[in-house]
Amino acid sequence: MTSLSISHAHVATDILPARQAPPIKRMPLLKMLFGDILSAALTTGALMTILALMPAVQWGLVDATWTTADPAACRDGGACWAFVGAKLRFILFGLYPPEAQWRPMIMMGLMVGMVLVSLSPALWGRKLVIAWQVAVAMMLTLMWGGVAGLSFVPTSQWGGLPVTLLLALLSLGCGFPFAVFLALGRRSSLPIPSVLSVGLIETVRGLPLVGLLFVASILLPLLLPPTWTIDKLGRTFAALTVFAAAYLAEVIRGGLQAIPAGQIEAAKALGIPHWKAIQHIVMPQAIQKVIPPLTNTAIVMVKNTSLVMIVGVFDMLSAGRSAAMDPTWPAPYREAYLFVGLIYFALCVAISYYARWLELRVKAKDYR
Amino acid sequence: MMSAEQPSNREQSAIAIRNLDKWYGTYHALRNVTLSVKPGERIVICGPSGSGKSTLIRCVNHLEEHQQGEIVVNGVTLNDSLKNIDAIRRDVGMVFQHFNLFPHLTVLENCALPQILSRGTPRKLAEERGMQLLERVRIPEQARKFPGQLSGGQQQRVAIARALCMAPKIMLFDEPTSALDPEMVKEVLETMVALAEDGMTMIVVTHEMGFARRVADRVVFMDRGAIVESSPPDAFFDAPTHERTRSFLSQIVH
Ligand SMILES: Nc1ncnc2c1ncn2[C@@H]1O[C@H](COP(=O)(O)OP(=O)(O)OP(=O)(O)O)[C@@H](O)[C@H]1O
Ligand SMILES: [Mg+2]
Repeated sequence: MTSLSISHAHVATDILPARQAPPIKRMPLLKMLFGDILSAALTTGALMTILALMPAVQWGLVDATWTTADPAACRDGGACWAFVGAKLRFILFGLYPPEAQWRPMIMMGLMVGMVLVSLSPALWGRKLVIAWQVAVAMMLTLMWGGVAGLSFVPTSQWGGLPVTLLLALLSLGCGFPFAVFLALGRRSSLPIPSVLSVGLIETVRGLPLVGLLFVASILLPLLLPPTWTIDKLGRTFAALTVFAAAYLAEVIRGGLQAIPAGQIEAAKALGIPHWKAIQHIVMPQAIQKVIPPLTNTAIVMVKNTSLVMIVGVFDMLSAGRSAAMDPTWPAPYREAYLFVGLIYFALCVAISYYARWLELRVKAKDYR
Repeated sequence: MMSAEQPSNREQSAIAIRNLDKWYGTYHALRNVTLSVKPGERIVICGPSGSGKSTLIRCVNHLEEHQQGEIVVNGVTLNDSLKNIDAIRRDVGMVFQHFNLFPHLTVLENCALPQILSRGTPRKLAEERGMQLLERVRIPEQARKFPGQLSGGQQQRVAIARALCMAPKIMLFDEPTSALDPEMVKEVLETMVALAEDGMTMIVVTHEMGFARRVADRVVFMDRGAIVESSPPDAFFDAPTHERTRSFLSQIVH
């Protein structure tokens, strides 16, 4: 039993002055690296990995040939980065006529500019959507030409980075609205939208992307009437869009499920029409909740565009590979793939950082 | 089942509920409920948990669908006609236990956007009206914040302002203070008292008996989906007629 002893009541007489916080304790380096078994194991493992990678560093940096006009100078065993320099235009633009390559350059500049403008959610709205539609029309016009004195360049001559970027951006951009409707359809209590959405989502998710690309590029022309000639890039784009839509739809559905019923009830009680409530109340919240998985899907889609190589679309990866096939150079496949890989990496890291920034902004709204 | 009263003149009622029955699946949630509310009248509904209080007021603006009986709000009969449902929701505002503010919008946008979306009010006017009502619930300085940055009591006052922006003739409150810390209950109740003094027709589900005594014209006691007793607050608290009312009151009035 505890007995309470009440001796002297304590009453603070005045407010204590604020004092400076004690200095932050720093962990000594050695303790941080080897302080416990797990840290020690990880540190050792990391050191061994670095050691194991030394030959690669030797190859890629120390022994590398950085600049030479003579392919023969590249036969000493080090990496031949001179090859990337010499073939840069081919890797970036593929078979696009060299004298017109300023057009995809401007196109990519426009794309980057639009992406930068679109980063801040404060500007998201109808105007931005219209601006994007205009910008995409301009991008495609630049690529195709045939008007305003620009020479016509068929899609079969498009290639390299512009194709990769266009496919990634457009398949995500067009897949997204499509995905919103699929997600709403799947949650709908009406039988027809629900069955259609579930059917489409499950079919697409049940097929490998490669299969879908084959269906689009080989089967579709056989099935459609011969007068309907949609070019190969267009069909590939359609397949990527449907694929992106199915995956995005499932992500968005997850966000919709996380919205409490009270939100739509409040909207109803305020007399907000159902579709407007979905558009302004439910969807924005649902999408904010699923930024991380949306990012994931976006990154996967950027990399998935490299699969179009299989059906003969000349994206950046195909261009890199063809460049390395040039017999005048000593088969620099590693260099070509590393360079292309680096570009993919930069794209994906950028998406990932942007998403993290966006998420922090959203979090700032609901601290408690 | 005794109905609590017979509305003599339905045309005069702000809300007339007659012989209402509601089932959730096979569960009989409202049993032959009859209640009429005159314009300007303040009704407090109380009763044990699960007695159907929320269900009853949620039927009034069709957040729940009833299966039998009749609900008439300001002369408009609530049926499957979307036009009638819209008309009734225009007249009826609602405040929820958990506020249900829109967390992705600022306080001011919470007040303005519903006007824009349901009435097509120009944004500028909608925001002006939003500010006016935020002043009326005495938190205009929070207009640019997000709901998650406010205290519970402030959030509930925003919710009241948001509902009032639509200029409703009737306000429904579903336990507006029961999710609040004690020190915030007062500020919300004061807002509601002020609203009552302005002559708003109100149905309030609450266990705040002080509020009921001060504001209510009638207190309605519900149990197991039915109205058991309905009388003016003094009679209700001091001389409850029904045994179940007495045992309920003995549990909550200390
Ligand atoms: N959506 C629903 N589906 C099935 N049953 C429901 C649903 N909503 C409420 N009920 C049931 O109906 C009964 C009445 O519920 P209601 O929410 O109206 O009670 P209440 O009086 O508001 O209770 P509380 O004081 O706890 O809020 C309860 O038994 C509840 O379980
Ligand atoms: Mg309730």
